[in-house]
Amino acid sequence: MKPVELEPRNTESLFGPQEGVLIRLLADFADDGQFGKRTLEVTSQHLRILESSGAESTRIPIAAIRSARNEPLVGGGRLEVQLKAGEIVPIVSYSLTVAAKFSEAARGIEQLAKGEPLLINLKEERLRCVKCDRLLPEKDGICPACVNRGKTLLRILTFMGPYRWKAVSLAILSFVTTILSLAPPTIQGFLIDGVLKTHQNYSRLLLLMGCWLGVLVTNSIIQVLNGQTIAFLAGNIAADLRATVYRAIEFLQLTFFDKKQVGAIASRVTSDTDRIWGFLVEGVPYLLLNGLTVIGITAVLFYIKPVLAACILAPIPIVLGIGFLFWKPMSQMFHRVGQKWARFHTHLNESLSGIRVVKAFAKEDLEFGKFGQRNKELRDAGVQVDSRWYTIFGVMTFFTTLGNLIHWTVGGTMVYRGELTLGQFWQISAYLALAYGPLQWFSAVNQWFSRAMSGAERIFELIDMDTESYGDKEAHHDIVGEVAFSNVRFGYDKSNPVLKGLNFTAAPGEMIGLVGKSGAGKSTTINLVCRFYEPDAGTISIDGIDYRDISLQDMRNQIGIVLQEPFLFNGTIGENIAYGKPGATFEEVVRASRAANAHNFILSKPDGYDTMVGERGSKLSGGERQRVSIARAILHNPRILILDEATSSVDVETEKQIQEAISHLVKGRTTFAIAHRLSTLRNASRLVVLDKGEIAEIGTHEELMTKQGVFYNLVQTQTAINEIIGVGTT
Amino acid sequence: MSLLITEKPKTETWSPTPLLDPKSLNLFFSPKDRLRLTVGAEYSYPTVKPAWASPLNYPGRYLSLLNGKGEEIVLIADPHDLLPAARDAVMEEVARRYLTSIIVRVLDARSEFGATYWHVETDRGFRDFVTQSLQENAQWLSPKHLMLIDVDGNRFELVDVTALDDGSRKHLTAIL
Repeated sequence: MKPVELEPRNTESLFGPQEGVLIRLLADFADDGQFGKRTLEVTSQHLRILESSGAESTRIPIAAIRSARNEPLVGGGRLEVQLKAGEIVPIVSYSLTVAAKFSEAARGIEQLAKGEPLLINLKEERLRCVKCDRLLPEKDGICPACVNRGKTLLRILTFMGPYRWKAVSLAILSFVTTILSLAPPTIQGFLIDGVLKTHQNYSRLLLLMGCWLGVLVTNSIIQVLNGQTIAFLAGNIAADLRATVYRAIEFLQLTFFDKKQVGAIASRVTSDTDRIWGFLVEGVPYLLLNGLTVIGITAVLFYIKPVLAACILAPIPIVLGIGFLFWKPMSQMFHRVGQKWARFHTHLNESLSGIRVVKAFAKEDLEFGKFGQRNKELRDAGVQVDSRWYTIFGVMTFFTTLGNLIHWTVGGTMVYRGELTLGQFWQISAYLALAYGPLQWFSAVNQWFSRAMSGAERIFELIDMDTESYGDKEAHHDIVGEVAFSNVRFGYDKSNPVLKGLNFTAAPGEMIGLVGKSGAGKSTTINLVCRFYEPDAGTISIDGIDYRDISLQDMRNQIGIVLQEPFLFNGTIGENIAYGKPGATFEEVVRASRAANAHNFILSKPDGYDTMVGERGSKLSGGERQRVSIARAILHNPRILILDEATSSVDVETEKQIQEAISHLVKGRTTFAIAHRLSTLRNASRLVVLDKGEIAEIGTHEELMTKQGVFYNLVQTQTAINEIIGVGTT
Repeated sequence: MSLLITEKPKTETWSPTPLLDPKSLNLFFSPKDRLRLTVGAEYSYPTVKPAWASPLNYPGRYLSLLNGKGEEIVLIADPHDLLPAARDAVMEEVARRYLTSIIVRVLDARSEFGATYWHVETDRGFRDFVTQSLQENAQWLSPKHLMLIDVDGNRFELVDVTALDDGSRKHLTAIL
């Protein structure tokens, strides 16, 4: 058996030579509660703890252990073992960073204690970047600091691929417009020296004006074309980016959605794509145009008068230096103002949407106090950032205008001495005005680029993330309906398993009622049946085939689900029913809604099946929404059906109608049902009673009632509660 | 001391705060790693888990004692009301169960590429950690009290940001 080694060994094993170390894990808390290092080592015969000094502090024979577990603590966990003598012994504490690994180790210890083969998954996780040793934002994830920016940039540019000719034409147009914008000062110089100074060659003035007009017209046309090209590229690239990200999100595993807030995911589709879009359609042209302009002007200035050019351009490094020096702190301050705005908005939204509660409790003053606090924070941050900004801007403007002053001093002297013509002097003045403007913003480009790159990295991280395992898309299997759980173990938080070794088989067409207290693992079981998550250990088979070997799309096409809070999409009732079978005929929709006891209430609506249900079905009552969702499931015609508290949020009369609809729905399908009211599971073929993630009892309703075990107690408790609150259990 | 192993029978009436005199609570370790409670000479809870009811707003106050099933036995408004030996025992268990850290110095904090890298000194020693999305993971519990939650869910508290040294505050201001 190969040892599962997570950290390099720094101590010699004190076990005998025949005792190979099977598990070795590093905990990050010392015995005194300080951050430190302690090592857990497990062999087939012993478990022990080594202190950072290498000294052994705990040793327990595996043969003495009955069970092991991760005890969740605040901010971490503790590995505990229960000895066969009954005593619970704490072994080692650790932070949440390594808690999942210790939970898996606990499972391994239990397997060894029971004499089973060690079947755990303790793959080594990288916490730090191998290149720069920074902590990684996500274990085994990418190091944002070491991402190859060149590669990222190239990957961004691939989004321009379909529009490459437009992009090339944009570059050419930018180049031409830069050249043309350099022409007027030269024309002005010729005009002053050749006409105004000599008071001769009037026809030349007209010719030069004609040229100027030509340049103006051409430049304007090119700029219009430029703008149109940018608009085209902007719209298309933004749409392509959003589509790519959205498509990637659709196929991500549900664990991703568990960890992230919807707002945060949405912001990747909107703000991160906006950052890249902004860089591509504004940043790149800006850089291109202004970069070319500055290079062009510098070249022309040095061509006209190298000494004067060197003097005039001397403040440029200072302007750039100030920009680079202050841009980062400034952008951080702007970011802070953004955060204050977000806090302000959150409070404003909350207090306005809760205005009835505010009024009912007469808490207007309290809310105004909170509002005032946020408003003050926002004001202070705004004042701070603006005053800093104007100070920096003022200094930059000083150095910018200093170039002009140098020009008048040095250039003026040259004109006075006859070393420079008046026309050249004027020409240089005009170029200066063109050059210094963009320079003030050049320092922002670095920040602009960084923001776009980090947005791109987040997007690419999402695009490259592991998707759900869809299996062989061609592997079609007509489900008969046998669903078998074999030693299934699963936890959303891997350090805290919710299901601990489920074993049962549902025969085709059987209705299995899942029963248990809240948190027992009922919803998790059906989440696993739907393959929203896959077991951490053990297998779920459908018709004897491991369900991971069946195409996910194909499998889900044959599973129907009716939830406690059915989700309807904004559209008509008819569209919602037909969601499970696109292209269904109207007759099929009506047949399904009849079976779901929904037809009559639908007809009572003025627009019948064309009634808009509103956002999330808000225009229908709870019972109506439920029946529409049942009709949707009936039309979908699944082989396996999931009913998750389908009747818990409706009144008794509606429940009766829904029960009737469900009885039509379950016929001939393997059904897994969870119901709050235990009496509604009376028709189930068998009940699986779950307790703390394990099966406590299995049997028919009658069998379990006769047995007077866990289920019987649950029923008794519920009956007693119903009697207290005066609700019948029928 | 004789140890009773039966728990208190379920009471008929419901009380928001079980009313027990803190001085009557005898908390001790038996066996050595398991906190146990006997109330007077009447009944005993073989497993007791302490939990702060409001650790952030009322640090050091309102300590709830839960039995092995996670049900509350008693809520102690101020642990100082316990007898010294009982208080020492329960606080030892509290220290074992709360693995959160209090930041005493921010040595470095850098926001780069959407993540913030922290190097801090805490009451448990030095620690490096990463936070993402500070809008969600830097929670202001009061104008002075800040909680940072790292990418793994570990929590780091700054009890009073105004009491930190200049360097720490400079880092915080730059980031937050």
